[in-house]
Amino acid sequence: MSKTLRIRTLALAILTILVTFLIAENLFVKVQSARLRKEPKFYAATIVFLKAGESVSKISSQGGWLLVKTASGIKGWLHSSAVQRKKVDLVTMDKSLKAKASADEVALASKGFNEQVEKEYKARNKDISFAWVDKMLAINVTPEQLRKFLQAGKLAEFGGGP
Amino acid sequence: MNTLKAVWILVMAGLIFFSVSCATLEKGLDAVSAVGSSDVEDAVKITQAVRKSFAEITEGEEYYIGRAVAALVLSRYPVYNNTSLTTYINKVGQAVAIHSDRPEIYAGYHFLVLDTDEVNALSAPGGFIFITKGLLKRCRNEEMLANILSHEVGHVAAKHGLQSIKKSRLVDAFKVMGETAARRYAPEEVAELTNLFEQALGDIVEKLIERGYDRKYEYEADKLGVKGAATTGYDPKGMAAFLQTMVDDSAGQEGKGWFKTHPSAKDRLGKVTKQISSIKPLPSEQKVRTGRFQQAMKSVK
Repeated sequence: MSKTLRIRTLALAILTILVTFLIAENLFVKVQSARLRKEPKFYAATIVFLKAGESVSKISSQGGWLLVKTASGIKGWLHSSAVQRKKVDLVTMDKSLKAKASADEVALASKGFNEQVEKEYKARNKDISFAWVDKMLAINVTPEQLRKFLQAGKLAEFGGGP
Repeated sequence: MNTLKAVWILVMAGLIFFSVSCATLEKGLDAVSAVGSSDVEDAVKITQAVRKSFAEITEGEEYYIGRAVAALVLSRYPVYNNTSLTTYINKVGQAVAIHSDRPEIYAGYHFLVLDTDEVNALSAPGGFIFITKGLLKRCRNEEMLANILSHEVGHVAAKHGLQSIKKSRLVDAFKVMGETAARRYAPEEVAELTNLFEQALGDIVEKLIERGYDRKYEYEADKLGVKGAATTGYDPKGMAAFLQTMVDDSAGQEGKGWFKTHPSAKDRLGKVTKQISSIKPLPSEQKVRTGRFQQAMKSVK
């Protein structure tokens, strides 16, 4: 490889990294547990579950879906309604500030009307049972069950819908 | 060599721009921090202090409000404990929820059948959705059921429950939340927040069960429901068919459940029919869906 070519390759590599940094959109998960999916579909297989407050960076978008990369480098699809844009983007490149921003987000997620308030509410209202609320939350339609249901019913892309 | 120079200049210009941007942003953040102190807790304090309206209630807070509203609904109505029916209702519900404007919410959408002949459907913030056995019996097919569930998902997606909370309560609650940055509140703060929490629940339950949402919210939920059902592939005429049963029966059930808490079915039918006429192509009822609906309803007494 000639010297000129090496310099050009290096310059392009730096430029690519630079552009990636400038256009990278940093987001955080705002739902309790978000499925990072293999494809931009709700019934696609789950790669990993992301917790509220976890950071991801956007690579690209397709419809309402975002192709993202997690902090540990895993790529997958998240629906845009599961994430929120970070308030300060580029600053998160600095380690101390990154810690500050994510602690802020995690703290916000657990503040206000939270588990502690519910505990006090339950103590005051012993006649109000949350047992069925918890059972209701345990009802889970898996992505595979959802796909089969849509397909059998000729729904969404399996028939009548877009 | 000219190309190399151009690339090099571009890279250098980019690097300079990049460093300046970061420096400016960091200075900006430092300035914000300087208003209070430099730790995370004050950053939270600043963020909290600017919260003003229902739109700024976090997903987590919406979930905790919804849990308590759901518990209050379930203190008034018994659950129709039928696993296969509940599973089926949840599948229909998920199908329309993923085609709503807000498919991902804090803990997802969950659906439950209430054991009463009263004709009603209710949705608590955070995706806790209830449909009565009485309403289910009015449905002739999956299209009608899907449109009703899609209407309820619409209420959740548009945060109609949260909008029922009086603004003064939110202002007070945000004030308490803004006064501390600790993730655990002191006993007196918990007591004050719980007072406000109970009052907020009262505001929502009054609308949800006693008086009904404002008409504009019902019309909006109809619009979102029809759109969501049609996008899923359900015939939106299922909503019109359901409303027609309500028009036909309104004399007998007036003052109860859905009739008490929803605007005139006739007015809603007019608006929904107009909306449906603009949907092209219009999905149609499928035998396979009607068949599985009838199968799921077989055990309902």
